[in-house]
Amino acid sequence: MSTSLPRSVDAVAEPLLSLSQVTKRFGNFAALSEVSLDLRDGEVHCILGENGAGKSTLCNVIFGVHRPDGGVMRYRGAPFDPAGPADALGQGIAMVHQHFSLVGDLSVVDNVLLGRERGILNRKECARQLERIAAEYGLPLDPFAKIEELSVGERQRVEIVKCLIRNPRLFVLDEPTAVLLPDEIAALLDVCRRVAASGRAVVLVTHKLAEIKKVADRVTVLRGGRTVATSDDPAGDIGALVRAMIQGNVEALDSSAASILGLEPVTHVGHEPAAKTRIEVLQIDGLSVKDSQGVTRLDNFTLTVDRGEIVGVAGVEGNGQSELTAVLSGMMEATEGRIHLGEIDLTRRSPKEITAAGVGIVPEDRHAVGCVLGMSLAENIYLNRLDEFTRFGFLNRTALEREATSLMQRFDVRARGPAALFSSLSGGNQQKAVLAREMTLPNLSCLVAAQPTRGLDVGAVAAVYGHIRDACKRGIAVLLVSSELDELLTVADRIVVLYRGRVMGSCPADPKRKEAIGAMMAGQPQ
Amino acid sequence: MTVVNQRGSLPGSPRLSLRPSLVVPVLAVAFAAVVGLSLIAMIGVSVPKAVAAFVDGTIGSPFALAASLNRSSVFALVGFGFVLANRANLTNVGGEGQIAVGGIAATAVALYGHVSGSPLGLAFVLPTLAAVIAGGLWGGLAAVLKVKSGTNEVISTLLLSFIGVWLLYWSVQSPALLRKPMTSSATLPESLEIPDATQLPLLTGDYSFPVHVGLPLTLILAIVVSVILSRTTLGFRLRAVGLNPVAARRAGISYAKTVVFALSTAGALGGLAGALMLLGEQYTLKDGFSSGYGFDGLVAGLLSRGSIPGVIAASLLFGFMRSGGINMEMVAAVPTALVVVIQGLIVITLAGASLFIEKLERR
Repeated sequence: MSTSLPRSVDAVAEPLLSLSQVTKRFGNFAALSEVSLDLRDGEVHCILGENGAGKSTLCNVIFGVHRPDGGVMRYRGAPFDPAGPADALGQGIAMVHQHFSLVGDLSVVDNVLLGRERGILNRKECARQLERIAAEYGLPLDPFAKIEELSVGERQRVEIVKCLIRNPRLFVLDEPTAVLLPDEIAALLDVCRRVAASGRAVVLVTHKLAEIKKVADRVTVLRGGRTVATSDDPAGDIGALVRAMIQGNVEALDSSAASILGLEPVTHVGHEPAAKTRIEVLQIDGLSVKDSQGVTRLDNFTLTVDRGEIVGVAGVEGNGQSELTAVLSGMMEATEGRIHLGEIDLTRRSPKEITAAGVGIVPEDRHAVGCVLGMSLAENIYLNRLDEFTRFGFLNRTALEREATSLMQRFDVRARGPAALFSSLSGGNQQKAVLAREMTLPNLSCLVAAQPTRGLDVGAVAAVYGHIRDACKRGIAVLLVSSELDELLTVADRIVVLYRGRVMGSCPADPKRKEAIGAMMAGQPQ
Repeated sequence: MTVVNQRGSLPGSPRLSLRPSLVVPVLAVAFAAVVGLSLIAMIGVSVPKAVAAFVDGTIGSPFALAASLNRSSVFALVGFGFVLANRANLTNVGGEGQIAVGGIAATAVALYGHVSGSPLGLAFVLPTLAAVIAGGLWGGLAAVLKVKSGTNEVISTLLLSFIGVWLLYWSVQSPALLRKPMTSSATLPESLEIPDATQLPLLTGDYSFPVHVGLPLTLILAIVVSVILSRTTLGFRLRAVGLNPVAARRAGISYAKTVVFALSTAGALGGLAGALMLLGEQYTLKDGFSSGYGFDGLVAGLLSRGSIPGVIAASLLFGFMRSGGINMEMVAAVPTALVVVIQGLIVITLAGASLFIEKLERR
């Protein structure tokens, strides 16, 4: 798609930023090895790669967070070795990180001024600048709104404006679309194009191919910390790029994973119900939850999940999904209502009792609830079943690691070994380990999975779907909570939509109903 | 052309990465010693004389050596408790109060009429057990406060320490409690001396080298605590709760039970330290009984960075320094306060040096 401006010979000879043979090690682990890359003025350059491929490390090297261990960087025709992020910023490089760094209590203007101005703050002048940039790039913002009143998409706009107000030459966005709704993603990609059209270079890190098709001028693919492919015509080379990224056959890819990636249109990959007669497994009856401030978060929620059925819970994040999973996993108490698993009453039971009853939980916040990052992989896999490895109070580590190794093979968890520190695993492997733990409960009859593919790469997404379908074939009732509608449409049998804690409606998971479901997510009953 | 490698290579240089965990403490102690000696010179005391007095007070005689070892045991016990509770990410700063209540309980039971006549060594075992239980309850109280109402254990153990120390003061001041009967106006506010049978047996049976059974007991407990932390499910639970209490709860590990176990065990070890001090050395309970040992033990635990051998090393260092310092004051007129200053310097240098090394290694 190099339809952009004809470039002079000079511009090709000297890119805005060039990296050659850049290496960055953390201990013995090479996060980047001999990566080369050049960025030109006025282009959107996508960095494509799965989780753990080194994309974030690469951004952090450019932004001065990490100093490379080897290689050469040149920027604007001179050697480049930023002493830190402040230095990079000063030289015209701005970056929007995966995690926002905004002060919730302050207004948009104050957040933009933070760290830039000393002495007397000129809020009016800043607000004027904000509005100018907002108009120029299509980023509508109320300068005096408080951050905590803004949606996730609006907060990201603030981060972007914070960067643009510095008038950068090079603009780096590290996986900016992971948290956005579909129309917000489209708007963001549009912003990227406009920024590039104003002559700046934009680096967009992503693992979603649909975004690349829409916006990229050029693509560099990373895998295992190495540059494995580059393309000047990403839309045309998409198949080759995917092969380079996942080092495998695109045809062999799980079709639901492919549709999430944007390779295929969304199709429902349903399955025949395992049982002819319905057997209700999970029954949730009139469940209501109030938070510590007394605000109702979940309101009279009723749902049954049958044996061998996958029910999807759709909704924009923050509409009661987190509370639903927290209550089902015993981490939060219901104010009203009952939960039954077959004949067993699970209302207000402890996490331990819920696990013992045979409910597997894949929590939405893997790091906060799902695992202990500072412990080993084996320890995490058997975190809830330590008693099986305990004799006279002593933990039999040999048996623990042996059993964990066999589960690692079954669930394809890739790590140095069962004793590897959990935090050293990639997100996908961490999630597979959590699945391994929750899906091998001896009497599993129900699986509650919340946002199980968030932040995972294609291979891992396909694996997670595979395991969920497997569970379903074994006759397990699956409740799948997700804010990715495409995911629910491909994987689930039936979808219920949550809006402000209430069930807005439910329907079969049919891609043709996507618009109707979208409307329900926005609060319009159909 | 800039070869980025040049400046970036500093952190990996072999000289610094060579066991910093060993090199740094040695350098810190050496630095603190040099500063301490300069201070001694500055106040006009002959340095050789002061050094001689210091050495004399630590290893100069069997008696000095024994006193140093007994003192180190006390520090080590408090340090073990600190490390154990710290595994669950709890900071027990209440050693001082736990020693005090341990001392009170040990004295009360030792002075109770029938105990000294008990057979089979129960005469000294019973007061020791009483001290362990009292310390355990004192630590457990902070745990209950934390579990029930979320009170930060740093605050609660510290304030419970003050209460413990003042309870001790009250009990030696009040004739209705432990104060010995007043025969004249010159009778000191202290307890009666505990009966011989309730005193801890000496290893050699000889008062010129008075190391008591507390030393081997401490070494056994070092092994027990190490094994609990590294080999048992209990240690695993402590670690899980310490690293991620939410995930631990989801996995069915009881937060409340773990916190109560951690803090009451730390308290029990503090109480035991109090028993060793009273039944093994002091024999009478006096005002100022705990003499800051709870805080020295806490520092030993802090410096060890979670390792039991580290606690032992730091406890020996502090135990010998205290003994040497006391002798320096008596013989060479160097204020003991100076030893405390040096101790503080060691702590700050160590903490600073580790921070520096971590920073170097991070980027």
